[in-house]
Amino acid sequence: MAVTDIAAAAQPDALEVSVRSRRLLRAILRNRKATVGALILLLMVFVAAFPGLIANHPPQAPLYRANAGPSSSHLLGTTQLGQDVFSQLVWGTRLTLIVTLVVSAIATLISMIIGVTAAYLGGVTDRTLTVVTDVFLIIPVLPLLILLSAYLSPSVTSLIIVLTVTSWAFQARQLRSQGLSLRNRDFLVAARVRGERPMYIILVEIVPTMTSLLVASFLALAVFEVGFAASLQFLGLGNSSELMWGTMLYNAQQAAALESGNALWALAPGAAVALMGAGFALVNFAFDEIGNPALRPVRRRRRARTAA
Amino acid sequence: MRYLRRRLGLFVLTLWAALTVNFVIPRVMPGNEAQAVLGTMRNVNPAALHALELQFGVNVHQNIFVAYFHYLGNCVTGQFGVTVQNVPVMSEITSKLPWTLGLVGVTTVLAFVIGTFVGVISAWRRGGRIDAVLPPSLFILSAIPVFFIGLLLIYVFAVKLNWLPLGSNYTIGATPEFSPSFIWDVLKHALLPAISLTVVTAGLWVYSMRNNMITTIEEDYVKMGTAKGLPSRRVMFDYAARNAILPNLTGFAMQLGYVLGGAIVIEYLFSYPGLGYLFFTASTDHDLPLMQGLFLFYTLAVLVCVLLADVATALLDPRTREA
Amino acid sequence: MSMKRFKWVILSAVVGVLVAACGGSSSSSSSTTSSTSGNTGKIGGKLVIDNVYGGTWPCQFNPFVAANEGPGITFALIYEPLQFVNILQSNNPPVPMLATSSQWSSDFKTLTFTIRNGIKWSDGKPFTAQDVVYTFNAMKSDKAIDINALWSADGGPLTSVALKGSDQVVLTFNAPSQPYFYFVADLTPIIPQHIWSTLNQSKLHSYGDSQPVGTGPYMVSSCSPQNIKYQRNPNYWQSTSGHPVPAIKEIDYPAFLSNTPGNLFLSQGQAQWGGQYIPNVQSFYVGKDPGHRHIWYPPVLNVALVPNLENALLGKLAVRQAISYALDKATIARLGEGGQQQPANQTGVITPTFNSWVDSSLTQPGYDPAKAQQILSSAGFKKGSDGIYRSPSGQPLSFTIKTISGYSDWDQSLQIITQELKAVGIAVTVQDENSTPYTADLQGGKFQLAYAGSGGPAAAPGPSPYYELRGWLFGGNIGSTNYSRYKNASADALFNQYGGASHAQQVQIIHQIQKLMLDDLPFIPTTEGVDWYQYDTTNIGGWPTEANPYAQPSPYSFPDNGQVVTHLYPTG
Repeated sequence: MAVTDIAAAAQPDALEVSVRSRRLLRAILRNRKATVGALILLLMVFVAAFPGLIANHPPQAPLYRANAGPSSSHLLGTTQLGQDVFSQLVWGTRLTLIVTLVVSAIATLISMIIGVTAAYLGGVTDRTLTVVTDVFLIIPVLPLLILLSAYLSPSVTSLIIVLTVTSWAFQARQLRSQGLSLRNRDFLVAARVRGERPMYIILVEIVPTMTSLLVASFLALAVFEVGFAASLQFLGLGNSSELMWGTMLYNAQQAAALESGNALWALAPGAAVALMGAGFALVNFAFDEIGNPALRPVRRRRRARTAA
Repeated sequence: MRYLRRRLGLFVLTLWAALTVNFVIPRVMPGNEAQAVLGTMRNVNPAALHALELQFGVNVHQNIFVAYFHYLGNCVTGQFGVTVQNVPVMSEITSKLPWTLGLVGVTTVLAFVIGTFVGVISAWRRGGRIDAVLPPSLFILSAIPVFFIGLLLIYVFAVKLNWLPLGSNYTIGATPEFSPSFIWDVLKHALLPAISLTVVTAGLWVYSMRNNMITTIEEDYVKMGTAKGLPSRRVMFDYAARNAILPNLTGFAMQLGYVLGGAIVIEYLFSYPGLGYLFFTASTDHDLPLMQGLFLFYTLAVLVCVLLADVATALLDPRTREA
Repeated sequence: MSMKRFKWVILSAVVGVLVAACGGSSSSSSSTTSSTSGNTGKIGGKLVIDNVYGGTWPCQFNPFVAANEGPGITFALIYEPLQFVNILQSNNPPVPMLATSSQWSSDFKTLTFTIRNGIKWSDGKPFTAQDVVYTFNAMKSDKAIDINALWSADGGPLTSVALKGSDQVVLTFNAPSQPYFYFVADLTPIIPQHIWSTLNQSKLHSYGDSQPVGTGPYMVSSCSPQNIKYQRNPNYWQSTSGHPVPAIKEIDYPAFLSNTPGNLFLSQGQAQWGGQYIPNVQSFYVGKDPGHRHIWYPPVLNVALVPNLENALLGKLAVRQAISYALDKATIARLGEGGQQQPANQTGVITPTFNSWVDSSLTQPGYDPAKAQQILSSAGFKKGSDGIYRSPSGQPLSFTIKTISGYSDWDQSLQIITQELKAVGIAVTVQDENSTPYTADLQGGKFQLAYAGSGGPAAAPGPSPYYELRGWLFGGNIGSTNYSRYKNASADALFNQYGGASHAQQVQIIHQIQKLMLDDLPFIPTTEGVDWYQYDTTNIGGWPTEANPYAQPSPYSFPDNGQVVTHLYPTG
């Protein structure tokens, strides 16, 4: 092919990108699991954004009768200090959601940069980065988390750091294989021929085409990050004065809530964590199916399998 | 064989990385074992600080590189020293190992079997009722943090119904022996932790098995099997599943780390005195020798499993040997 | 099953669980002291101890290893002290144990013990004064077992220990050392020379001692990681034919990994002697059998808000005074500690335990937020637009408070403190740390404010306020328990005089220290930390109570636990 042909080769154009995102939206709406998941997540975002609209008691103030059961003014009862459990749950949503999203985003970003760089540059760089990724994959995560958390002073920032360090490796392999498959696509050859630097090619040319895979990786991580963060805080390795669902669980466990007749104080934040994880998981199904047409549910109405 | 050699190289490298992490982290963070003891034992005379420092060998100024090489040497020869309670690290680990091995070993195998089985069947009958329900629910269950499943089980079965004990590995005050009543006691105590772990980890493998199966089913030899007129079940298992499982094996071994982590949380929740709980208390007690021994043990366990899985894949799948 | 129906299944399951959860209720009742039936001289019964150790037992009983000492498994059930000093009855003379009497020289530099005759070690060999001499000298051979820092080489005043005659031991100090009576007589476990002298003398701290031989009331009958079983020593020296001691035949001391199973075990009635912090103790424990279950929490040591005096702002007296007036200690005690601890005194003297040491002429600062703000304004601080005071040079009164992560009662108290300080224009953020870096930071002065004291690493209490106050305030303790880094030469001089003073003079010294506490506010006590103690009188009597505080009552208090087990007897 002539050089000009290569230069003008299949660069994903604006029309194709917008068609793809519309297809994404349609896919979510059509897939029942994803719809439920998306609704759950939207609810969480709403609660995180406007907690004052839903809970009318201050979350941390020990103003009420301690250890009260659920009632019309305290939907989930009160804690041993006399705080309203429902308000804590509602107000805790924000930080929990933020931590989950931030950790998943940064970890996905890191794993993408490493995975794609390894794929694109190949050779020694590839082998080194792959080894580093594998090492991080094999070293057991929670023991490493505990080791790190036992020494860093507990805070939301250290929680984010620790979770990101132990999570980025999960998706790096997949992103690398996708990068490998793209390596010799025409538009990349064109960019190379144009003389662009490798970092530019990686960040500006390759990454935008992997958007759906990135979103899928982000969601796959988010499913587990909620649980990881809550687990760490439950073990007592977080900052118990920051209001998050995990710290509610920790405080409840320390006060033996289950055994003291105060079970909602422990079960409610746990259920909330499970719900958020489920929400991400449900939306994640849709992405799996979008990405791999073979996985799409078989419908009775024979719809033609549209290629991604 | 070159494939195996490369994997062995990775094994050694990972081991070295884990050992180094284990060496560096406690040393760069503030505090030492003497301060750990004073911090946790509320009624020990603080004047004992000096005596404690002598006991734990704190403040013995040693060049950090010399210390590092001594440390590596000790790890290789299996000398892990004594814990802050003055017990040899190896004997602490070996005394707690059976409990964790029992719990984790059984549940991992069970979860793998369940997850794989469900994955195979769902893939074979795609779009059917099983496929619509089981894989998504199992996956969602695996997204739920394992301690919440544990909390729920404790609440329903231990607190409200009082059918099963609340925690620990056997009734406090009972004498361990090989009698049916003691074994029954142990099983009763292990039931809730085991169910929590199994429920959560089964979902991890369902999807990868199912997706592998689906792609394998498209292969020609599977269609050939069906065309030949072989019974459906035979094709499903002997032709499709056997080939679909293989790529899973290494992934399964790599996820062992996640399972071990879940076991730590479960042991904490149920006060189950296994390695996981030991690791947790070792890190809060700043028990350097014990932490190093345990972290090494964990990493080694995962590495060995990964290596075994790689060997198995190489043996069972001729395609890898052709590299 | 369709997805929709599946969702309903999950929903109804969740609802079902929630409904079951709402069935929980709490009951409350007041605890009453039941009358105890007398000791009939019968031997029998089993005592189960409930104290959370946090790990499994290493089945070692070396009394100089902190991990064994802390939970009270060895000293003083197995090993015993020379004399017993009761902090709760500090005006009483010490109780003779292995030593029948003691005598100070007039300059308080020589202490002579007369050792009791007729005592046998649990392996049958006779106990003599030589064992006592060996015990002290062994601490010279292995400094790691000098856990009270007695010897001069370890910073203490002890210079020699020698046998005098056949049954007397003479300890010589290099300075007047009355306070050291407590460490030497009460806190030193006496070990058998005939066993310990055969070991490597410089490594005595490594001796596992899994089959301990002591003079004490109990012996180890079996030990597994999850439970230590003790049986009574049939040849215990306190026992007479009409009055066998100890009367309780067996003791079980299970290992609990965390508070939840420990508290549950106690609430189910499976243990009779508890040393637990139980958040809702009335509903969780007492209410289940108020006729027999009791609690008593004698206050022993302060919990305090500690300013780092080397911090430029906290070093200003006005700031500390403002903090002191801003705190409503009654509310902190009521809500933060659930009423289980009493508000503390700014003088630092624990009351009612040390009532006889209180200088009643001093007036303590109360709760006065208006006055707090007034003090700040008069000192030149100006309130900013965010409500926080700023120094003349513009620095805001905004600090971090370090605390130990996991101490939920401290966290609760700090939530209240945070709000109370905010109300007077001082902003604080709580910073959780694990106990090891926390200890390191406090000792190293790497903090601004800290919450510290009873329950965390702190000055050890003794039979007068001297011990705790010296821990907090003596200049030489900077880097150890003087977390504020208070340097006051007159305070140091007062503490140094105490060792050679008469009792009346000692009371005066403590009065003057109290005045310093009020004038300088080197730290701000908030609540009085307690000994946690739960007991069940169904089958066992003879417990220490508020009316009869013959020893510190927690199972982890040593050597007081030895006093308790020798007083207990089976009832019914």
